[in-house]
Amino acid sequence: MTTAKEKRYRLSLSWEHEKEEEWLNARSAEGLHFKKLSLVKYTFDRDPSVRYTYRLDYQGGFGKTMSKEEYIELYRDAGWEYVSSYGAMWHYFRRPYEEGEEAQLLYTDSESLAGLYKRVQAMIAVMFFMNLFFMVFNTIRGGVLGYSLLVLYVFLFAVLGTGYFRLGKKIKRISK
Amino acid sequence: MEKGKDMLPLTEAFYYILVALYVEPSHGYGIMQEAERMSGGRVKIGAGTLYTALNTLLGRGVIDNYPVPEGTDSRRKMYAITDEGRAVVRAEISRLEELLKSGKQALSIGEERGT
Repeated sequence: MTTAKEKRYRLSLSWEHEKEEEWLNARSAEGLHFKKLSLVKYTFDRDPSVRYTYRLDYQGGFGKTMSKEEYIELYRDAGWEYVSSYGAMWHYFRRPYEEGEEAQLLYTDSESLAGLYKRVQAMIAVMFFMNLFFMVFNTIRGGVLGYSLLVLYVFLFAVLGTGYFRLGKKIKRISK
Repeated sequence: MEKGKDMLPLTEAFYYILVALYVEPSHGYGIMQEAERMSGGRVKIGAGTLYTALNTLLGRGVIDNYPVPEGTDSRRKMYAITDEGRAVVRAEISRLEELLKSGKQALSIGEERGT
């Protein structure tokens, strides 16, 4: 039996990964099981006979103490099947859906959940300053093109700033 | 002995990871099961929590990589507690004993006074 591939489009924001999880889990309940993401294009396998719980994890990088293989192996041991990665930093995992399993989380205490949010926040901060640097570079010449770029950058900074701020609020809410 | 004191108090996850490794070297899944067993099913350490905790503990030198026995899956890493880690566990246990003692004393005084 061949599984049919289907596509869906969604703009997902790094600081709302729980919403993305909810969305993927709702799709899986309908028989569409997430396989991979490229930018805004989600590819699914259709199979009405199964249902999964999806979770996202963010890891800044591997190599220092653990390789990606060891990371995936640890999650597999804990019952999580590795699905795919996005941008080398977001990793998608799933496990067969079980009734009343809201507690099937990757992060089971507020300290480690805050740690996850802080890692995402740090990535947003890096993107912010990298783009600030590019902006200065690209708009320094002025002119019409320079000014329209400036408008785009202001928008980008507003989005990144919002993300940073939202994550800060989440961290504050779960920290004692 | 003083080293690692700044890690206190430990979160429940950190505490159970170190206590489990105090007994014997183990891999990630073994630590999860041991924590759940010791806590009577109360403490379930999620994969993300465990992974980030292991990285932190490795970075702090309180645990170390342990050679994987021949013939087992080499991707499944094993961990062992270090002397520093043992000192952290002991310091945490004395801290907890003090808390427990103070609390119990307060309770018994309160009961004597009938409040």
